[in-house]
Amino acid sequence: MKWPRLLLLALVVGLLAWAWVALHPSPEKLIRKQMDGLAHAASFGPNQGALAKLAGAENLANFFSTNVEIKIDIPGHQEHRLMSRSEIPQVAMGVRASVRSWSVAFPDVTVIVNAGQESAVADATLQVKIAGEPDMIVQEVNISLRKINGQWLIDKVETVRTLQ
Amino acid sequence: MTDTQSGTGLGSRLRILAVGRNPKRTLVRAAILALVCLVFFKFVLLPVRVEGFSMAPTYANHSVNFVNRLAYFWHEPHRGDVVGIRLNLPPTNGWSAPHIMYLKRVIGLPGESVQFVNGRVRVNGQALEEPYEKRPCDWNTDPVTLGSNEYFFVGDNRTMPKEEHTFGKTERSRIVGKAVL
Repeated sequence: MKWPRLLLLALVVGLLAWAWVALHPSPEKLIRKQMDGLAHAASFGPNQGALAKLAGAENLANFFSTNVEIKIDIPGHQEHRLMSRSEIPQVAMGVRASVRSWSVAFPDVTVIVNAGQESAVADATLQVKIAGEPDMIVQEVNISLRKINGQWLIDKVETVRTLQ
Repeated sequence: MTDTQSGTGLGSRLRILAVGRNPKRTLVRAAILALVCLVFFKFVLLPVRVEGFSMAPTYANHSVNFVNRLAYFWHEPHRGDVVGIRLNLPPTNGWSAPHIMYLKRVIGLPGESVQFVNGRVRVNGQALEEPYEKRPCDWNTDPVTLGSNEYFFVGDNRTMPKEEHTFGKTERSRIVGKAVL
């Protein structure tokens, strides 16, 4: 077999391997994608219309399970506790009404998938930039996820004090 | 003729200065250098921008620094070191660097007891000399006993109420590296 054929064969094998990985992503990859989607859904710009804001707030709830428990306690800010998915759009609309723009990101995420691959924990750095605020919010958050009907949904969100 | 020759000579010298005698070799060298810089500044010496005032006056808001990830390869952190601390659990596999870190000073080492009494740090009951602390405070805290793998961190600027200053203990595995500047 001449080298161009070997090269072609290597290329085909590489492409097949890439296609396999792309079509069968690991739970960790799916969870990271879900976190990116959550950050995108939670963010909004200054020029968003009322309808887009409403749609964004409704879409945000899709990342959470029905009985989600959210406890956000950031020093210097009001504490928030939510006990079900139905409360999320209302809170999201409240945030959208009170600030001009809001940018959420999870720049550092460590995912631990539990045995059985039906639940997982994502320990992440939450970064929020609010229009008009000189300092961004940076906080460690612990997010529990559960695989429900083939989709990774957030079951619990809790802020963590990195330094205790 | 002389003018043309000297013009060609200058152009040739400029070209050699810019791309070298052998452009292919120069390109390869530049690519290798870029790759080494990329790996070095992504995994070893992390460039960071200080945000906030908790390390003032040692580090001003928006100042630039580097975190050396190899600093604690041969020895453990020392008291007084300024270190980067990650805000998420360290990855179980890989050596990925965090994008966001706390920059704090180590004041308590494993096994020690740390407490603030009238703004002075006491380690195992003894007052700690802190030449870097230029702005005195009036903090009082209960003593915190550190585990065998825990360190205690605080910023240099303690002028704000203690509730607004992020300080406390965490595990050794969260220390990313030592601030260089």
